Parts: sequence; C-alpha cells; structure tokens
Amino acid sequence: MSETVAGDVPAVVGGQIAVGGSPWVVARRRLLRNWIAIAMLGVFVGIVVLCLAAPLYADYVAHTDPFQSNLQGTIVVDGKTVPVMQEASGGLGLGVTPIGPTWDLHHYFLGADDQGRDVAARLLYGGRNSLLIGTAAALLTSVIATLIGLVAGFFGGIVDGVLSRLLDVVWAFPVYLLAISLSTVLLTRGFSVGPLELESGSLLLPISIIGVVYIPYVARPIRGEVLSLRRREFVEAAIGLGASTRRLLWSDILPNVVTTTIVFFPLMMALAMLTEAALSFLSIGVQPPDASWGTIILDGQSLLYTRPAVALAPGIAIAITVLALNVLGDGIRDALDPRAKLRGIR
Amino acid sequence: MLRFLARRLIAMVLVMFSISVLVFLIFFATPGVDPAARIAGRNADQETLRAVRKDFGLDKPMPVQYGLMMKKLFVSRDLTSFVNRGAEVIPQVTEAAPVTLSLVIGASVIWVVFSIGMGMIAAVFRGTPVDAAVMIVGLIGISMPVFWLGEVVNLLSQSRLHDTFLFSWVPPLGYTPLTESPIGWFKSLLLPWLTLAVLFIGIYARVLRSSLVEAQQEDYVRTARAKGLTERRVLLRHALRTSLISFVSLFGLDFGALVGGGALLTEVVFGLHGVGKLTFDSLQNLDLPVIMATVMYASFFVVLANAVVDLLYAWLDPRVRHA
Amino acid sequence: MRRVAVILLALALVTLAAVTAGYGSGRTANDHRGGTLKLVAKTAGGTLDPQVNYTLQYWQLYQATHDGLLGFTKAGGDAAFTVVPDIAENLPTPTNGGKTWVFKIRKGIKFSNGKDVTPADVVASFQRIFKVKSPTSGTFYAGIVGASACLKKPATCTLKGGVTADEQAGTVTINLTAPDPEFKYKLAVPHASIVPADSPAKDAGTKPLPGTGAYYFASYNPNKLLVMKRNPHFKEWSHAAQPDGYPDEIDYSFGLNAEAEITAIENGQADWTLEQPPADRLGEIGTKYAKQVHINTLTAFWYVPMNTRMAPFNNLKARQAVSYAIDRNAAVKIFGGPKLATPSCQVLPPGFPGHQDYCPYTKNPGTKWSAPDLAKAKQLIAESGTAGQKVTIVTPDDEVNKAMGVYLQSVLNQIGYKAAVKPISGNIFFTYVQNTKNKVQINTQQWYQDYPAASDFLYILFGCESFHPGSDSSINIAGFCDKKINAQMHKALKLAIEDEKAANALWAKIDKMVTDAAPMATLCTPKHIDFVSKRVGNFTFSKQFYWLVDQSWVK
Repeated sequence: MSETVAGDVPAVVGGQIAVGGSPWVVARRRLLRNWIAIAMLGVFVGIVVLCLAAPLYADYVAHTDPFQSNLQGTIVVDGKTVPVMQEASGGLGLGVTPIGPTWDLHHYFLGADDQGRDVAARLLYGGRNSLLIGTAAALLTSVIATLIGLVAGFFGGIVDGVLSRLLDVVWAFPVYLLAISLSTVLLTRGFSVGPLELESGSLLLPISIIGVVYIPYVARPIRGEVLSLRRREFVEAAIGLGASTRRLLWSDILPNVVTTTIVFFPLMMALAMLTEAALSFLSIGVQPPDASWGTIILDGQSLLYTRPAVALAPGIAIAITVLALNVLGDGIRDALDPRAKLRGIR
Repeated sequence: MLRFLARRLIAMVLVMFSISVLVFLIFFATPGVDPAARIAGRNADQETLRAVRKDFGLDKPMPVQYGLMMKKLFVSRDLTSFVNRGAEVIPQVTEAAPVTLSLVIGASVIWVVFSIGMGMIAAVFRGTPVDAAVMIVGLIGISMPVFWLGEVVNLLSQSRLHDTFLFSWVPPLGYTPLTESPIGWFKSLLLPWLTLAVLFIGIYARVLRSSLVEAQQEDYVRTARAKGLTERRVLLRHALRTSLISFVSLFGLDFGALVGGGALLTEVVFGLHGVGKLTFDSLQNLDLPVIMATVMYASFFVVLANAVVDLLYAWLDPRVRHA
Repeated sequence: MRRVAVILLALALVTLAAVTAGYGSGRTANDHRGGTLKLVAKTAGGTLDPQVNYTLQYWQLYQATHDGLLGFTKAGGDAAFTVVPDIAENLPTPTNGGKTWVFKIRKGIKFSNGKDVTPADVVASFQRIFKVKSPTSGTFYAGIVGASACLKKPATCTLKGGVTADEQAGTVTINLTAPDPEFKYKLAVPHASIVPADSPAKDAGTKPLPGTGAYYFASYNPNKLLVMKRNPHFKEWSHAAQPDGYPDEIDYSFGLNAEAEITAIENGQADWTLEQPPADRLGEIGTKYAKQVHINTLTAFWYVPMNTRMAPFNNLKARQAVSYAIDRNAAVKIFGGPKLATPSCQVLPPGFPGHQDYCPYTKNPGTKWSAPDLAKAKQLIAESGTAGQKVTIVTPDDEVNKAMGVYLQSVLNQIGYKAAVKPISGNIFFTYVQNTKNKVQINTQQWYQDYPAASDFLYILFGCESFHPGSDSSINIAGFCDKKINAQMHKALKLAIEDEKAANALWAKIDKMVTDAAPMATLCTPKHIDFVSKRVGNFTFSKQFYWLVDQSWVK
C-alpha cells in the first residue's frame, strides 16, 4: 500500500532530525499524500459523527426510544396500520415476527428487533458504545503497555525479569479465554476493590478487561525497542555526560517509543472493537439494556432466518470501521516509519 | 543451546503453574460457584447440601482443594465434572481434540496456500492497482468479526440459498467424524474451514508481502539480479525463503493458539464440539474441573508454540540466546 | 370339465381375497414394533441415577426403564395424573390413622440383569434414597419413620421401623410419622424407583442401574450418546403402569444446537428434540411442517418473584403495581405468540386441582386478564413512595428469559423505577437467585409440577418453611412468609387426608390470598411444543411426564 522509495531517508533516526523539518511534519506530509488512508480516515470520522448523533436521530428523525420495549406498538406503512410484532397467521400460527426494514428513515429504517425496538436507532447508539469501548480500551492498553515496556526495557535486571514473567503468564493465557473468564466472573459479581467499585452493568468492566488482556501484545515490542534504543550510542553518550534517568527517559527514549505506540494505536482500537463484539456476542460484554454492535448481532441471531437485517447491519458496520482503522493504521505506520521496522504487526 | 532449552522448559512449567493458580483464583471469587446446590438438585434440603459438600471436598480450605484437583487431573487422571456427575474430564478433552484439529489443520492449509499466493502476487505487482486490490481484499477478511461471518455463511448455506445447487450439499450444523464418513467429514468442515481461513489470509498475505518487499531491497537480492536472474527466480528462490521466517514464526504462534481452543467462536457458530466449544461451555457452566483442564490444555499449546518459535529464532540468531 | 375348473378357480380367488382382505384392513400393533427412535438434545441431563437425577429430561426416560411401588398411568392427558399400582399389586388405603401403608409385591418381575424383584430390594431402595443424598430425601421422604436419623447419617441408613419387609408374606410396610395424602404421588416419582439391593451406595453417575421397565440403559456417554434397548427380561404386568414399548432401541444424541436440531428433524435425520424450537423457526414449522407439530398445555407457570424482604419490593403496593403494569400479551409475544402461551395472574395453572380462574391485576378485574392498567400501577407506586429506586432484574441468559427480562426492565422504567437487567449463565442462575446473600430483588422464574397437588405450587413456593436464608436451596425465592396464609396451608394439607374436595376448595382460596399478596407477578401459562419427524406415529402426551417416548412408533 505504500511505496518504499530507495534512498529515502527515514524521518526518525536516533531521535535526530533528518530531512525537511521535524519528523512529525515529514510524517504528516507523507500521510497526506496517501489518499487511501485519508479516505479511510474520512470514513472513520463519518461513522463517529453519525454515531455521536444517535440521540438526534432517535429524537428528531425516527421519534423512537430505542431502549423502550415496543412489543404492542403499531406503525403506519403505506397508509396501513401495521403491528410492529406480527403474529404468524399461516398454518398453526406459531411465532411472532418483528417488522422488516421499511427503508424509511422516519421509522424502522432497518426494521424492528425482538423487543420491537428500532434497529437503526439502536445501531447508532450501539456504535457509540462500541467506539467508546474500543478507544478507551486501546488507550488503556497503550498507556500501561508503554509504561511497562519503558520500565522493563530501561531498568533491566530484576524489574525486567518480574515484569516479563508477568507478561508471559498473561500472554500464555489465550486472549479470548482470559477475557471470557474475567468477564464471566466479574459480570456476575461486579468488581469492588477498596474505593473502586464497578457495577456489573458498567462499561468500565469490558473496557478494563479488554484493555488489560492486550497489554502484553504492545508491551513486548515496546520493551524490545527500549532495549535496543538503550544500547545505542547517543544514549550511552548521554549517560556518560551525567544525564539523569528521568531526562533520558523523557527526552531521548520516550519520543522514539511514542512513535511505536502511535502506530499501534489504531490497530489496538480495531482489535479492541472486535474483541468487544465477540464478548458481547457471547453475552459477557456489554449488558442490556445498553447496546453495542456485538449485542445487536446477538439479538439478530435469534431472528437470523426471518429478519437477517438485524444481524447483518452491525456486522457490516464493524467491518467497515475496523477496515478503516486498519488502513489508517497502515498509513500512519508508513508515514512514520516507511522502512517497515514494525512489519511483524498485524 | 542445551542450557537455553532447559531454561525455557522451566519457564514453561512455571508459566503453566501460574495460569492454573490464576484460573483457580478467578473462579473461586464468583458467587453461585458453590456447586453443592447444583449437584444436589433443586429444592434440596440443608442436610443434603452439607453431605454433598463433604462428598466433593468442597468444605476444605482452598489450597487443599487446589492440590486435590491438580492431583486428580495429572496424577490419577480421574477428575470428574461438577456439572455432569461422574463424567470424567480428560476423556471429554481427548474426544474434543480431533474436532478442533480437523478444523484448524484444514483451515491452516487453506490460509497458508492462499496467503502465500496473494502475498507473492502483491509483491510482484507492487505499487499497481493489483497490489492494492489484493491487500484490500485481505484487509476486509481481517476486519469482519469471525462469528458474524460464520452466521452469515450459515444464513446463506442453511436457509436462504440452501435449495440451490450452491449449497444443497451442506449438512446440518455439526461434526461428522472422519472415521464415520470421510465425505461427511469434509462436507461438515468445508464452510467452517473457509470462514476461519478468511480471518488469517489477510494477515499473512500482508506479512509475506512486506517481508518480500523488504527482502527485495537487500543486497543479496540485488546481487542475484545483477547476476542476471529473472525477477521471478529472484523472488521465489531468494526473497521468499528469507521472508518465510517471520511468516513461519507467526504461523507457529497462531496455530498453537488455535489448536488449544482459540477457534472457539468458529466452533460455537458452526456447532462443532471441539476444545474451544468445550472450554466455552465449561466457562458458562462454571464447571471448574473442566475449565481447569481445558485452560491448561490451551495454555500448554500456546506456551509450547512460543517456545518452539523462540527456539527457531535462537537457532537462527545466537544473540537472542543471551537476551 | 372346463366349467369345473373355472368354478374351482373362482372359489380359490374368492378365498384368497377373503383371507388377504383380513390382512389388509386393520394394522395390528405388532406391525409397528421395531426400529430405532432417534432423539437429540443440546446437552445430557447429568447423572443417570434415577434416585438422584431431578431433570425433566431424564424423568421422561425413567418411565420406560424403572418402576416404583406405584406409578403414574402411562396415558395421554389428565389420565396421566392417576396413580396406579406398579411393582406393588395394590394401591393400599393407609391404616393406623393414615400412617401405615402395606404393599404386596408382585411376583415374577425381573430386573434387566435377570434377577427377581424381592421385598428386600424394595427396602434397600428406600434406604438408598438417603444414602445417595437424593435431592428430595429431606422434602418428600422425610416423613418416613427413621428418616431423620438417615438424614443426619446417610451412610448408615436403615429406616428402622420405617420401611420393613416380610419375605414370607411378600409384603413391604411403610410407616410414616404423620399421615400424608400426597404420599402416593411421592412413591410414583423416579426418586422412589426400585433398584437392586446391591446397587452402589453412592450416585451411580454414568453407570446405568438395572431397572424393571420395558427398556434398560445400554450405554451412556454424556458428551455423545445414551442408548436404551429393550429389557430382555420384561413381561408386561400392567398396561397402565408399564406398557410394552414399540421401538427396539432408543438413541439419544447430545451436542447439536437448537437450530441444527430442527433442521435434522426436518430432514428426517432425527425424530424429536428436547429443546423448544428457536423463535425464528416457529413460523417455518408451523406452516411447512404443521402435521409434525404437537402443542400441549403444561401444568406450569412463568412468574416473576419479588423479594419481599428488600426495598423496593418489601412494600405490598410496589409489588402490586408491577403486576398491574405488566402487559401479559407482550410476555406471550416474547414466548412465541398466543398459540404458545396464555396470560395468567395467579399461582395455580388452569386444569390443576384447586384452580379457580382469578385475576385482579388487570383493567376490569375479575376472572381473566384483559389489559394492563398502567394508571393504577403509577398511582400505587406514588402511594408506596418507592419511585426512583434502583432495581436489578436477574434472568438466565437464554433467549426467552433474557427477552422477558429486557421487557420487564422497560415496564419498571415506565412506572418510575431505574431498572437494569442482569442476565447470568443458566447453569448458575437457579441457585444464585435462591441465595439471599446475592440480594436479588426481582427475577424471572418458571415452575413445573413435580406431581399434581396444589401444595406443590403454593406450599413449596410460598410457604414459610421453604425459606432458608443464606442457602443456595431456598425455593421460596420471594422470601414470603405470612403467618395467616401459612396456617391456612397447613390446614389444607391436613384436610386433604380426609376430604380432597374440601382441601382443593381451600387451596383455591389460598391461591387467591397469595395472588393478592403479590409476592410474585405471574406472566403466563406456557404450552409445550414437540416437533417430531415424519415417521413418528402415535404421539401421546402425558401431563405428568410429557411425551411418552416408548409409546410412539417409527415403523
């Protein structure tokens, strides 16, 4: 997706300025040239804006409360009053089917779900939660992983030993299994440690669980990078000159590491959103009545053969958002580090 | 080298021990986990509960219970489930393993073949729309939630398009053992293989492509070109071989995770009773003995795969051995 | 000569026609004997021990494999509630003030291992109920003399003075500490099955125990398959209690999910599934496969217990408000439509002894529910002063229960609470909501009868003695204890010994009293769907044990 032009000097080399301005300016220029990445950024921003506008849509356009069950409701379609939940009429009259997509933005654009609620409105609200959890979890992962990677890589010795073992244990526990285990337990009980109390319906639970579970994923590469940076000449020189640890970390090592963190960030967002969708689908992510794209897919599962729109729409939404994040992440990585130093990342 | 091996082995055992303790702690913190009432049955009276608790050793302190469980799991190998009274845990895992193996091996064959092909095409046509198209297709594959893709595949193959020639061969969801009917086995697994493979093709195609692209800058490739070898020869003979290192190590890690039960979403959606589904069911049921066995099984493979990959790198790069 | 030949030929043809006509007209039952019945379920039902297992899944099978001293009639409809002698020759009238039951054991009944059934086996089986810590040992059988000692020390249980055998006379005598008119039912459930005296004194788990039924368990792998085969030593002794069965073998496979099970039945790869069809297949099976669908009303009810010892539902008006506000038609829709459930306001289901239609929680209160009364509900909330409080609804995480929970949350929000739903795993749900330590305010619940007695609903679920704080087994989830109503319940239990009709009338009054006190809000009476494959014939539904598995044929 990007071109490696032979002879192009990478923007970041040992923290020193190379060509054409500060590394960030060079990077930005490079990113802006990558029109696919910019297009995807636009798509992503568009999705975010749409989802943030969920209350506006629900109140002013669709006139619906997507969190209120509407099993006995009716709407007017083509001049006829139709029940939202239609009882089967043929044969033995078994089953109740929600109304299908009306393709009318003013009501039940994508049809109703099993509680008679407007799927389109819930899709937007669900997007808010999915994006929120994805961003917050990725932020949590990035910050803590960078800290751990810095400390472990820089100080070495016992500190590194302990932290690395901890990372190994968490990482050896298969990611989804750990997430599922923690979610199952914490959801039944809620989480209270000292003053920190999270009720089982709180969004902070999936955010923290997903955030924690991916820490080793980011921490290890960062630790590796800090390790290699630490051995570089400029750091040794700085130490020789009597620079304090804090100054070293802050001005020499951190800026380089931050690049890695930034490159990882969209990727972690994508992973977090996919994980949240999986957990919600297994009923141990976002809890009702809150919606997320994963919970709507779960709702759609029981309607799959009769009203597939309920399951299809959130899946497509997730796919587009994650695709945009992946392409954007690629673009950022190429802009900041075109020599594909971090090619091992997926 | 031997010292490295020995150290890795000890690390493996320590990690697995920590995981077992972690699992035990996580699940003993849950309310409603006291299996006595569930085992005793509905509306059981207090005396019955007390007796059941004593029977299952649930009234002993936690370290003792942990020790007992580990002993039954590894030494006497007769650990029984809390939910299905009398059902032994280890046979449950060994019966589920072939299903997962069938799923994972088939899917990995498909994704390796496709990703190598796609990666190479993308690298050869680097910079052209073909490259972009191939990469986008791969990216779309990674961006879809695998369980959703499975549901869509089910929708089409079981319901909407089931009566057409495309999908009329699709059997109802579930697994047919290879020994029972090879054709049935193949039919029941083809769609799950493709669904699981789609998730990985994009990743591996990208990895291979960037490795190939990078390799093409290397000196030894330039030398080969200067020697007059065709571009294709250069690609296949030289660049591919070195690029495969990161590809293979990544594959090892993913394969290890999948064999241990990482494909649980695919198994759940397609009704395949593999280790992943067993793990998930046991987590839902809070069936602690089965949870312990399946998590141990899964982490064993992850840890093993990590060790093998590390060994590979250590063998290739002696500096790593002393890291 | 030729004419004679023709006449003879005609005679022969006529005779042939006459004989074959007899064969062609009615099909005898023997024509249907044979074949393998294929059942499917998502999971196995746990232990195979009939004295321990408490699931409907296996109680349905025990009818064909094990017998007790008495048994429920194996017939369709209400006839199934009639208790008839099974291994005993007679259904005795209890003597000694109703405390002594004497049973004569039939001769010639053999276990599936070939051994004869003796009075010693009967005594051993009753002792075993306590030795294996059967779930109902402390509830159903605690009234037997010597039971309290057995409950304290199960391993050495002798039931001395409680269950004694007279090998000479071939009788078994059971002595109770107090008269119990429901005792006949308790002897007919699988926990009181007669098993060989040398059966292990602990839960047999996956090892089948020999029984006296028409079938025996040949093999059991809870992850894959349970196989039942004809009992080679079975000779029908009572068609009502233990009839001969049609299929030669019954294979019960585990592991398919609900959608796959329906597809398998449609394709003829399976004959019946335990699970109710998922919502999105109901339309399909109700139209394309209507002839293979059997719908039966259950003696059961779906209700919403409210914790009477915790805010906000320790307030009577708050509880009544909830019951007024629930739109039972919406609940019925969640269930799958009016063909699959009917709204209800009270405890006892229709058709149950002691049931009299009663519904106060509707617009135009009277005998039947018609519509919710939101205005009244909001008014009651205002009077109760509990508006704005936080409420958490706990449900199991299966489709229908979760949907009920989400709907209830909507209703509670409408009348002024701040409601949240908490679905938890179906496997831990039942014990979770019973334990007061978990502080459950309100949850969804279903209750299916153990046997046809009003006490099984009213006394078990709402009697003071069913409330055990801090225990995982406290089926009076609402924590309801009203001294006056409890006294009436005891009175009805005593009354049943002499006058069943009067007792049922009293139970009807108690039903009304409990409904008025609203420790729960009843939602509906469910119906049960059995979806069978095309080849299954003679589908018979017993109200006690549901589909009589071995009474249907596949040929």
